[in-house]
Amino acid sequence: MVRIGGRDDEMVTRLEGSEEELELAAWEALAGVHDPEIPPLSITDLGIVERVRLSDGAVDVDLLPTFAGCPALDVIREDVTAAIEAVLPGRTARVRFVYAPPWTSDRITPEGREALTRYGLTPPARGPSTPVIPLASLRRVEGAAACPFCGGLDTVLESAFGPTLCRSTHYCRACRNPFEAFKPKAAR
Amino acid sequence: MTAPEDPRVGLLLSIADDELVMGHRHSEWTGWAPHIEEDLAFSSIAQDEIAHARLLYELAEPLTGRTPDEMALGRGPGEYRSSWLCERPNGDWGYSIARQFLYDTADAVRLEALTASSWTELGDLVKVMQMEERYHLDHGRAWFERLSAGPVTGRQRLADGLSASIGEAVALFEPLPDEEGLVADRILPRPTADLLSEWLGAIGEELEAASLDFVLERHASSSGEMVPTSSGEMEGEEEAFSAPGVARRDGRWVHEGGFSGAGGRFGRHSEDFLPLWEEMTGLFRAHPGARW
Repeated sequence: MVRIGGRDDEMVTRLEGSEEELELAAWEALAGVHDPEIPPLSITDLGIVERVRLSDGAVDVDLLPTFAGCPALDVIREDVTAAIEAVLPGRTARVRFVYAPPWTSDRITPEGREALTRYGLTPPARGPSTPVIPLASLRRVEGAAACPFCGGLDTVLESAFGPTLCRSTHYCRACRNPFEAFKPKAAR
Repeated sequence: MTAPEDPRVGLLLSIADDELVMGHRHSEWTGWAPHIEEDLAFSSIAQDEIAHARLLYELAEPLTGRTPDEMALGRGPGEYRSSWLCERPNGDWGYSIARQFLYDTADAVRLEALTASSWTELGDLVKVMQMEERYHLDHGRAWFERLSAGPVTGRQRLADGLSASIGEAVALFEPLPDEEGLVADRILPRPTADLLSEWLGAIGEELEAASLDFVLERHASSSGEMVPTSSGEMEGEEEAFSAPGVARRDGRWVHEGGFSGAGGRFGRHSEDFLPLWEEMTGLFRAHPGARW
């Protein structure tokens, strides 16, 4: 029996199990890895874990980058490697970034969308994307991002760009707060 | 690089080097744009473009034997295949906006064509790039619309920027080395002349809608000849590089004639490239093998 660190610092014990059980353990470990730019969001809820494959002595993890230039990718790679090797001692984690299928923001799970809102980031609009024209209109527009603070829809897009590649910046005219949203990423 | 060079490398570098050099220029606005949202916009677009260059350098790695860092920063100036449009200094903000609009509308045309590439790894990467490029397109178009409708000073600066960049935007579609082979293998599903035709038709409509098509008329009356080069690996008397002229035929803007001389796609650059290259690669050359 080995005693190992599990998700959320909870100590768990695990016996050698079947391959299915070990794969489940790997997925659980991945659920404990969080996006360093959005700490409450796990990478499984972000929807970037495409595949986990166990083989003799190794665990291959395929990840889908959110935005190609995301500087958090290297940190995520290190965290995934550490998390996998902690729950599956004796196996080497091999993390690969792949681009097919492309990651889209529709891959964020309902739990992930809740985590974003709790963090003060509006979840991305779903489905095919529409053009984003900052400050194009001071009128209320269809599909405006909901304010994460008051829930109001009387908001304006100030810029499709923000402090990270995956965020846009907005202003809520109801509660008069500036806020950020997770940018939709989808095929047009 | 492998010799004779795989024509696929020339295709990848035509896009990757454009993205890298364009990203480098955009990054020069960080902290200097007219307001903070535009600092963020140009900085974010730069970050995307440089990331796209890296994706393509990674795809090229088995063909070149060079890492993405070596490709981005470890080549001689004549080995870059970027187009002249991307190399020009930012100058006035009106020029930068005009160039960003023209570059990204042209980039969108070639990326869309490449989604159908027989080289599926390239097609997959292009689909990822497209989803990020849409924000660049929207940014360029929003400013194009705002400035063209705007107070006269802004409209004038936009028009000046478009006039200065339209000819070199046409030259983004300079034919690639061994293009016939790339097209025959459907790696490049449509020839560059075809892509130029599509882009010019669309951009002509947008310029007409904004009553800015005099930019194309002005370009049509020029010879299309580009500024002589002073960098790149080619030496001696070289034929001047010129892009096709443009004309309005049957209600549509079309290009007439072809390219002559060699430009960025053959490693022959504008006089602005060498200073950019020296700055961009300076750290890499000063500290060979450094990691950061």
